[in-house]
Parts: sequence; C-alpha cells; structure tokens
Amino acid sequence: MNQQEKKQFFENFNKSLHIIGKITVSISILLFLLIPIVVGFIYHASPDLGSFWSGFAKVAVIYYPVAIVEFLVYTPMLGVGGSYLAFITGNVTNMKIPCVMNSKDITDTPDGTPESEIVSTLSVATSAITTTVVVALGVILIIPLKPVLENPVLLPAFNNVVPALFGALGLKYFIKEPKITAIPLAAMILLCTLVPAMISQTSILILPAGGLAIGIAYLLHKKGKL
Amino acid sequence: MSNSVESYRSSVNSGLLFLLVGVALLFITIMCLIFLVKSYRAGIKIGMEKKVLRKVIISSATFTVLPSISILLGVIALSGTLGIPYSWLRLSVIGALQYELNVAAMAAESIGLSGLKVTEMSMGSFTTIALVMAAGILGSLLCCLFFLGRYLKKIRGNQAADTAATDAKDKKPGFGAYATTAMFIGLCSAYIGAYLGDAIRNQNVIPLLTAGVAALTMAIFEYFTQKKNIKALDNFSVAGSMLIAMAAAVCFGQVIGG
Repeated sequence: MNQQEKKQFFENFNKSLHIIGKITVSISILLFLLIPIVVGFIYHASPDLGSFWSGFAKVAVIYYPVAIVEFLVYTPMLGVGGSYLAFITGNVTNMKIPCVMNSKDITDTPDGTPESEIVSTLSVATSAITTTVVVALGVILIIPLKPVLENPVLLPAFNNVVPALFGALGLKYFIKEPKITAIPLAAMILLCTLVPAMISQTSILILPAGGLAIGIAYLLHKKGKL
Repeated sequence: MSNSVESYRSSVNSGLLFLLVGVALLFITIMCLIFLVKSYRAGIKIGMEKKVLRKVIISSATFTVLPSISILLGVIALSGTLGIPYSWLRLSVIGALQYELNVAAMAAESIGLSGLKVTEMSMGSFTTIALVMAAGILGSLLCCLFFLGRYLKKIRGNQAADTAATDAKDKKPGFGAYATTAMFIGLCSAYIGAYLGDAIRNQNVIPLLTAGVAALTMAIFEYFTQKKNIKALDNFSVAGSMLIAMAAAVCFGQVIGG
C-alpha cells in the first residue's frame, strides 16, 4: 500500500469510525438518561423535575466547562476512535490518557499519524473492556458481602462518603497549589462559621469558592508566580 | 436499621436495576469490541506489525488492572448509598469517583436532603439524583457527537496534534491547567469550610474527623508516591484514603454516636 492509498484507506476508516461512534454515543446517552426514568416509572418514584433542573444547573455550571476543556485537550491525543470510546467509558484523565500515552511510548508511535490513532483506539478499547471485566468480577464477589455492608453499625461510613472524598481530594489539591488555596479555604471556613445557614448550602458555596480560586490563579499566573 | 433504609436498599439493589445496568454495560462492551477489531484490522492493512498491535493490547490490559481494582473500591464506597448496580454502571463506564460523588451530593441538596446520606434516601430521591448524575456528565459526549470530526480536522490541518502532545509533555502548562486545579481547590474549600463550620457551630464533628482521616491517609499515600516514587500506589490513593476514612467514621460513630 503506497502513501496515497494508505491516506485514502485511513480517511475511509475514520469516516466509518465517526458513524459507529456517533451511533454508539447517541444510544449510550439514551441509555444513561433512560435508566433513572424507567426505574422511577416502575417504582412509582419518577424524578422530580424541579429538583432535577435545580441540581442540573449547579452541576452543569461546573462540569460542562470542564468537559469542554477535556474534549479540546484530550481528543488530539486520542484520535477519532479513542475519543468516542474514552468519553463513553469514562475515567479519562486518571486512566485512559495515561494508558494511551504508555502504549504510544512503548511502541514508539509518534502523535498525529494513522498508527497513533490505531494504537489509541486499541488501547482505550482494551482498557475499557478490562475495567468492565475486573469490576464485574468484583461486583459478583461483593454481592455475598451485602449483609455485612448493610449492617447498621456501618451506617456512619456510608453517611460520610462525601467528607471522606473531599478530605482526600482536598489534601491532594491543597498541597499541589497552596498559593491558590489559602484565601478560598480561609474564606469558606470564615463564612460557614459566621453564617451557619451556609453549612448545608455547599452546592451554592462551590460557585463563589471556585470563582475566587480561579481569579487568584489567574492573577498569580499573570504575574508568573505559579 | 429502619424499615425505610432497608426497603430503599432492597429497591436500589433489585434485579431490575441489575438487568438495566447489565444491558447498558453489555452494549458498551460490544461497541468496544467492535472498535478493537476494526482498529486491529485497519492496523494490519496500513502495514503495522501484528506483534506491535498485540503489545498494545496486552500492555493496555495489564496497565488497567490496578486502576480497575481502585474503581471497584469506589463501587463499594458508593454502593451503600446508591446501590451496587447503579454505582457499578457509573464507575465502570462514563464516570469517575470524584465526579459521581460530588454530583450526587449536589443533587441530594437540591432535593432538600442534608447531603448524600442513606438514612435520608428514598426511591424518588434516588431517581432524581441518578438523572442529575446522568445529565451532568454529558458535556464531553455532546462535544464528541457534534464537533469531534470538525475539531480534529482543524487540528490536523494546522498540524496542531503534535503541538498539543508536546505542550502536554514538555512545556509549562498554560492557564487552562491551573484553572481546572483552581476550580477543584474551590470545590474542596467549600466542603472543608462547611465541615469545619458544622463542627464549630453545631458540634457535628464526625464529617470533619472523617475528612481529617482521609486527608492524613492521602498525605501518607502522597509521601510514598512522590518521595519514595512508588507510582503504582497513586492508583489507590483516593479510593484507599476514602475507605480508611469511612472505617474511621464507623469508629467515631461508636464513640461519639451518630
């Protein structure tokens, strides 16, 4: 196969991946949205639309910009097939990207080539299938442990999942950029101590805290202090 | 345990939910297999060696095993409040632990709960929270659906793919990288501030103590991954810190009550 034929073949291959990718993404979106609706219908406990929109607005303000940045940064590394699969199967930053970079590294594949796209797609697909198999096996093992996990003694553990997450994540991010951290953290502690009504409004607090942190990061970055 | 918690847990772990989640996972796994086979064949067609393609598959599978176990630990952490099947779906495809828990907590507050607490959950709150979680993570998928072809064409046209990879590897990160970190710092500050305020004003110390144990455990993980260079531990740092902190919460519950 000469270079021209290779280019033509690869263009056609990518076109077919776009078609399958778009169909897969569309069906996946439908499945993700339909599961809670179907469960609600069967259990006569449909989602409350007012609460949904209020929750979605708060989530979208934070996570849609992140999603756009991830799309812009990661898709050139992942290529066509890798991008569709990586964003459907999740764990992009913490697993798919390192996995793809590792595969390209050990096979000495330069970015931006057809070979690089093949390696990315193979890597993401294999990674996703492996995760599904490992987690499925794990879930089969968890099921017999359900009575233990549901013991009332363990209730404080499941009521404090979120503090456990933010304790761990907080330490990770705070020590990474202490200059950005100091003011927003102090401001939130002061606010929640002086205005107790804010304690139960963390989803609202996220917006000023995030805005403050981004503003400070911008100033520090502009002054070259990061 | 109260009847309502028992009944909620039995509903979110029902055969119906396992069936629905199983269908979604099966569909996505089949699509992964289709992409895998198509790419393998295309690789051979453009002259790549079979042993290189096999190397990619084997290395990707082995590379993924450890992080997958950490995802499983996340499923265990989330299963107490959202049930095994839905946690399984969210964490084995599409989501990641940090996103899922935070969104679930925000959604829980939006429906009037004091947080993501199993003692306050009902099937109505579950379906609303699950729908917020599903819709809230669609950003990247919608971008792929509508813009991927045009965006990659533009990037390739400008020969920017190489630049993006070089930027990621070699250059000082731009403001974008700091903006994402800053946003997460703001997110964590809001929660830690709330736990501290809750401890000071309401004497509810368990969330703060739990967060403290998680932070301490994470510090130990960071010491071994950064200072001792045991990078494999990084895969377990978040899930491991959470599980240890959750175990500590059980002890705090026994000692303090709650």
